[in-house]
Amino acid sequence: MGGATALLPATAAAAPCRRRCSLLRRGAPRAPVGSRIRCIACHFVVPPNSYVRLLSGKRITKVSPLKANFWDSIRSGFLKNNSTTEVIEPPSTLPQEEEPLPQEIVLVERTQPDGAVEQIIFSSGGDVDVYDLQALCDKVGWPRRPLSKVAAALKNSYMVATLHAITKYPGTEGNDSKQLIGMARATSDHAFNATIWDVLVDPSYQGRGLGKALVEQMIRALLQRDIGNITLFADDKVVDFYRNLGFEADPEGIKGMFWYPRY
Amino acid sequence: MASSLLLPAAAASRFSPAPLNPQGKCRRPPPLTISTSSSHHDPARIRDLLHAAGHSCHRFPDRGPDGRPEPVDLDKLRTALLHSAVVVSVFCRSRILREDRGQGRMPALLGLEELFERAAPVPGEDLQLVGFGRAVTDGGMTASIYDVAVIPSLQRLGIGRKIVRKIVRFLTNRGVYDISALCTEEERACGFGEDSLGSITMMYKRATSSSNMEENSTVKRAGRMLLLVPELARTQNI
Repeated sequence: MGGATALLPATAAAAPCRRRCSLLRRGAPRAPVGSRIRCIACHFVVPPNSYVRLLSGKRITKVSPLKANFWDSIRSGFLKNNSTTEVIEPPSTLPQEEEPLPQEIVLVERTQPDGAVEQIIFSSGGDVDVYDLQALCDKVGWPRRPLSKVAAALKNSYMVATLHAITKYPGTEGNDSKQLIGMARATSDHAFNATIWDVLVDPSYQGRGLGKALVEQMIRALLQRDIGNITLFADDKVVDFYRNLGFEADPEGIKGMFWYPRY
Repeated sequence: MASSLLLPAAAASRFSPAPLNPQGKCRRPPPLTISTSSSHHDPARIRDLLHAAGHSCHRFPDRGPDGRPEPVDLDKLRTALLHSAVVVSVFCRSRILREDRGQGRMPALLGLEELFERAAPVPGEDLQLVGFGRAVTDGGMTASIYDVAVIPSLQRLGIGRKIVRKIVRFLTNRGVYDISALCTEEERACGFGEDSLGSITMMYKRATSSSNMEENSTVKRAGRMLLLVPELARTQNI
């Protein structure tokens, strides 16, 4: 994994913004030179400021608004642009919140008979290599998903918690093996609601309370930020697992529904 | 007056605003402007709308003596709006709301000015917020719709459905197809019309732990619930 960050290929997330772009072409109020760049900005999923942060190795735990408003971009084009050089404004103006530092906790430390020390480390701030994650999903038996989508989802999740197993061999400097063995992520609006998705633990590490630790620490982090509605959608087989953690199914008649496209 | 949005609550403990237009199906909604522009967000107006509709942002809210939850905290609402990928606001001209609703028929032809307003709405003094909805997404795979609300006098006219469709359209245009929404029993009547994947919705509700309350255990208030905060993980040495 090294320092690899989950970067999103620029074209992968861009959805053709037909309606808006066509309005521009059809001669709606004429926008200055470079207005096309605005349109690309409006469906360029990664806000520029978070890209800079990724390079410095820090994980974004904020969710930036994805939309860059069409009317705002036209208006600001009128007001600002008198030259031919176009500046793409970042669509988000986030106030600087107090973000907790990404924390790492050693959950288990075990000395093996050959002297190697195995640590299982919980982390809530690090980057996740999408290839490692895909390998883990394969082990658990989940269907593969497009890597660009996974990368975008990880980047925009409020919190991504990971479990890594690090084995340190005595006498070898820096030859530790680090393996991703678990992950959970949550999306949130930072104020009221959070939904936990994608909880998984490597099958060879299951049954040891690691999944429980993952979810519990995530709940802890969410509650400490006063995010009170913590939801998840569980398969039949894992309902009991979550019930043990304090989740209740369909509480007070609240049901979750999903969208199905109807043609 | 038609603009009074509140009905005396029934004796039921939950606030369920009885619609003012029981023959909802015969009536058409008035001319509306639906906008996803962030410059139209006014947290105070949104808070008032949610309060009028009896909707709380907490899933298990504290309800007052009239059955309604207290208004949502403005700062938290602002934060939530900032981090919602799409926020839909529905506006209606105040004068239309003030007109006698008993007539039931809205003029079929729109004035030219109204057509322009639909294209570039500018909420001024006379535009009232009548509907709201927002969604949070991770930009790749999943999304969740929250807090869809319409003022009681305009409920059961298909406005909620329009809001949801707008949100869904926004999300699918960006390639997000896994869209979830939580609804209470009353909200289902709104016509969300979405089906379950077969997975079970669960919410965190633990209030006390079996290993009873030590001095370190913390609880956090969420609406009327006091949720137990799990302890910080400690290292086990094996």
